[in-house]
Amino acid sequence: MTINDTPPGNRPSGICPREGKLKMSIATFGDWLYATPFSTAIRETTWVIPNIQTIHILAIAVVIGSALATELRFAGVFAMDRPPADLLRRYLPWMRRALLILLLTGLILVIAEPGRTLGNTLFWVKMALVAGASLVTLQARKAVLSESGGMTEDAVPVASRPLAWLMILIWCAIIFCGRFIAYT
Amino acid sequence: MTLQTILQQAYDLPLSSSIRENVNAFPVIESLHVLAVAIVFGTILIVDLRLLGVAAHRRGAERLIAELLSYTWVAFLLAVITGALMFISNAVAYAANTQFLLKMVAIAVAGLNMAWFHSTAYRRISQWDEMLPPPTEARIAGLLSLLTWTTVIFLGRWIGFTLEMVF
Repeated sequence: MTINDTPPGNRPSGICPREGKLKMSIATFGDWLYATPFSTAIRETTWVIPNIQTIHILAIAVVIGSALATELRFAGVFAMDRPPADLLRRYLPWMRRALLILLLTGLILVIAEPGRTLGNTLFWVKMALVAGASLVTLQARKAVLSESGGMTEDAVPVASRPLAWLMILIWCAIIFCGRFIAYT
Repeated sequence: MTLQTILQQAYDLPLSSSIRENVNAFPVIESLHVLAVAIVFGTILIVDLRLLGVAAHRRGAERLIAELLSYTWVAFLLAVITGALMFISNAVAYAANTQFLLKMVAIAVAGLNMAWFHSTAYRRISQWDEMLPPPTEARIAGLLSLLTWTTVIFLGRWIGFTLEMVF
């Protein structure tokens, strides 16, 4: 099977199919996935991918809205009259649900076009960033909730402000990568 | 000076051709557009939910609107700029695309709804600032805002799948 026989959406992004065992396994898995009836059905039903992508974008908006509210609070520039715990209590559940929706819609998009995603380095960069940002949010930020007991309003240490700006940057980078994947 | 002439002139601008000819220009512009749109919708969502009666991180609606609005406007400005750049790079094609035209209508409707809200219920906000849920007028404005902006995003994505290139 030459590189020209593989469907355009499913070619590994490496120049030579033999390049790297990992790339090979991903490409093989991608080929298999691409050929499954489920994958084919998603691709061939014209309205599925655009609408799944739309839901994906709406969920992204929920995440970035929630992330901005909470991280800007930690950065010391937003809602300074409210305790950080209040913002987390309000927005963390929304972030969690939206991230789940992103995972599910993302999974459908990967199944529909495995080569375009799994075979793309930028996709894996995005996944690493999502894992990192989610971990920080659900662990480090969640910790604020458990110690919130007698927290004063401005209890977030100034030293944690760079992390807040970094988190915002990472979420923005994730969104940027997500769209840019289509072009790499 | 017909519409077609204006569109053709936009397409012929040096800026437009540099976007078309630079392989990274459109992807970068579009990706920034998606980021901007996500922030617009994400911040508007918080306010709209408050208007519908779902509390945010504070009870007071007026302060909530005030503190979020600047982020919404900056993001919206970025969305308009990136959108305009994408548009001129293929003016004739976009102007002929139904989803694009409907999207512009939806944005106009969202704007009108916002103007209506700001000149009616918002004027009396001190009366219902802490109310959950707020008066019906505010709830309608919130619901309409949510529906129109969701429609904008839905149509925006469909442009990419329905655009017919004009050469």
